[in-house]
Amino acid sequence: MIDNYRAIEGNSSSYFSLLALFGTFVAIGAGAFFYIEHNGHGVTNMTNQVVWGLPHVFAISLLVMASGALNLASMATVFGAKHYKQFRRFSAFLAIALLAGGLAVLVLDLGRPDRMLLTMIHMNFKSMFTWNVFLYSGFIVMCFLYLWTMMQHERFVKLAGSAAFGFRLILTTGTGSIFGVIAARDMFHSAITAPTFIAVSLSAGTALSLILLVVTFRSTGREMDIKLVHGLRNMLVFFTLLVAYLIVVEKFTSLYAPNTDDVAHYVLGGAHKMLYWGGVVVIGVLLPLLVLFMPASGNSVGGIVFASICSIAGEMAFIAHVLFAGQAYPFDMFPGYEITSVFLDGSVGVYWPSLVELLLGLGGMAITGLIYILGIKFFRLLPKKAVAPEGWAPWSP
Amino acid sequence: MTMDRRSVLGLGGAAAAGVMLAPGLHLIAAPNKTEADGNKRWAMLIDVNKCASDCTACTSACRTENNVPMFGDPTRDIHWIRKVELKDKSGRRPSVSLPVLCNHCEEPPCVHVCPTEASFVRKDGIVLVDKHRCIGCRYCMIACPYKARSLVYHKTKLPEGGNPDVPIRGSGVVEKCTFCVHRVDDGKLPACVEACNREGHGAMLFGDLNDPESEIAKRIKSVPTTTVRKDLGLEPHVHYQGL
Amino acid sequence: MVRYPPLRVIQVLLVALLMCAAPLAVQAEMGHNHQSGPVKLQKPKGTACVLPEEQMRRTHMDYLKHKRAVTVREGVRVRDESLKNCISCHPSKKKFCEQCHKYVGVKPDCFECHNYPD
Repeated sequence: MIDNYRAIEGNSSSYFSLLALFGTFVAIGAGAFFYIEHNGHGVTNMTNQVVWGLPHVFAISLLVMASGALNLASMATVFGAKHYKQFRRFSAFLAIALLAGGLAVLVLDLGRPDRMLLTMIHMNFKSMFTWNVFLYSGFIVMCFLYLWTMMQHERFVKLAGSAAFGFRLILTTGTGSIFGVIAARDMFHSAITAPTFIAVSLSAGTALSLILLVVTFRSTGREMDIKLVHGLRNMLVFFTLLVAYLIVVEKFTSLYAPNTDDVAHYVLGGAHKMLYWGGVVVIGVLLPLLVLFMPASGNSVGGIVFASICSIAGEMAFIAHVLFAGQAYPFDMFPGYEITSVFLDGSVGVYWPSLVELLLGLGGMAITGLIYILGIKFFRLLPKKAVAPEGWAPWSP
Repeated sequence: MTMDRRSVLGLGGAAAAGVMLAPGLHLIAAPNKTEADGNKRWAMLIDVNKCASDCTACTSACRTENNVPMFGDPTRDIHWIRKVELKDKSGRRPSVSLPVLCNHCEEPPCVHVCPTEASFVRKDGIVLVDKHRCIGCRYCMIACPYKARSLVYHKTKLPEGGNPDVPIRGSGVVEKCTFCVHRVDDGKLPACVEACNREGHGAMLFGDLNDPESEIAKRIKSVPTTTVRKDLGLEPHVHYQGL
Repeated sequence: MVRYPPLRVIQVLLVALLMCAAPLAVQAEMGHNHQSGPVKLQKPKGTACVLPEEQMRRTHMDYLKHKRAVTVREGVRVRDESLKNCISCHPSKKKFCEQCHKYVGVKPDCFECHNYPD
């Protein structure tokens, strides 16, 4: 089995142009960072009401996807789906790459990135952010240990893989809890926020793994049994249904209670309704499900990849909705009163991202891309040929 | 003169030794020292009925005292204290106008979420931002239900007629009302309270809740008062009367 | 025979290299600024500093840093040791603080926010 892994050649002109593309975006992202750092956050479009902008959407999306990307390896190691064992190196490595990209954006969007190390010197252990510092670094260590055992100490794989799986659940719970524990924000103060983040991470992480596997195998001329793609598709279907279930339960609960129905009405019909209905519901849930359940598209690789792209776009829309609607929705400090002030109390926050924020975010994505394509060139992460076991037939529409 | 110099040097030397041996201890000898008192609980009581809707004396006094910058962009202007107009949705209660500022909670969510302990509660209950330590992550702004905090989006300059005793702002850090901590430590009232009294409204009362003889403690005992977002259990130290 | 651990050897070599290079760097810097001899500071107004001069020269940054923490966080304010008191004897940042700071190439950012007259 070990011999089956082979690094890609990485000598083609398209490989180098991809390298150059990612490199350029990393450089542009670095430029965007220095531009913001030098001029202050005044050059972004963030305000005192929407203080976390587009960079946070990119950062959190990548971090959420990171834990989801480990799913494939967990399926093999923890849940005994042996046919995914051949992808577990890829899966753990991708998780690290995504985490690195996301963390870079998160850290570079600080108001004072020069003081970043203060988080190591002065720690407030009540803060969800401090916990996340440990969760992120711990997750990277876990993934490295997992990779190490996979490559050299097979007998510890189960241990390392199970630990990494447990950690990824805690990690995404932590990421979701950044929002879930904030009592001040009715939009996301909920015990179900963290589980929803986990479901979203599973669907988007699986979708990204699927896309990268298909694209990498195709462009390097490797063979992959279509049954494996169908198996991944079924996982994606399951996770997308899970996301749908959780958001329906959450909306139902908040619509049911008279003290929270204002928030639910805002989500469904307020200023961010397009982001919610169009981005989260249609692109993130309905469209992928439709495509995957229709026999014509659901069984073709093209259709499945399209649904996966939708799923990732839906994930980003979900994070963007949590962030933007959550912050823009005004505080109800004096219930029963209409509130106005020079500080824009009582009015919905307006935010439209600026170019420099987009470039910073794309820079983070490019870091992930760069790490990934360098990884598959320099490490033996992927099998020469991905085979499915005889007699295994995943469900198909 | 020589004696003078010597005694000053001696004091300095003692202070230096103190710095090295026990930080904080050396200051006991100095007569001109003040320190936050852990037995105090600074609080404010705002009588909504006395607050005039067209009066902004408190907000402008705050701006002058603390060099609070205006950038000419309402989405980014910084307000440590702002006047808020309330209109009853059912039309039964009269409209009111009142100042809203940092509530200096006993259990401040901003302090809970701050990763570097830049936001903290001082011994005497004043919630502050250590601007030397803030990394500008803005999590506190997400957590505060009073919208009391602002990020400094642009570089600032000491304005004409500004107060040189209060620092201006470095961009990229979060700031908010300090209860005029520099004045309180000096035995004075916060600038907003003083301005309100000067205008003759007397709508703002400031004092030590832990002192049963203080006017604010007596008032809060004798008249019905409330706090904003009581349901969150943050125990704010800004109380409102007549709301 | 004493065997030296290779890491230790590298450490020692590095330190030695730095020690050789440091004076060169300082000389280069001096030449660049056309500065020779001791830095000329504005004569202070008062009779004596709050700490002995030698100590102040070496440790004022630690002192200020410690002070700033206890002042902000504990509310400890000592008039004699306040920045305001510094200004009363050394009224110009340009003629006092920056003389040395420029010479040694450090850029403290205290006065981006705190008021210290030029």
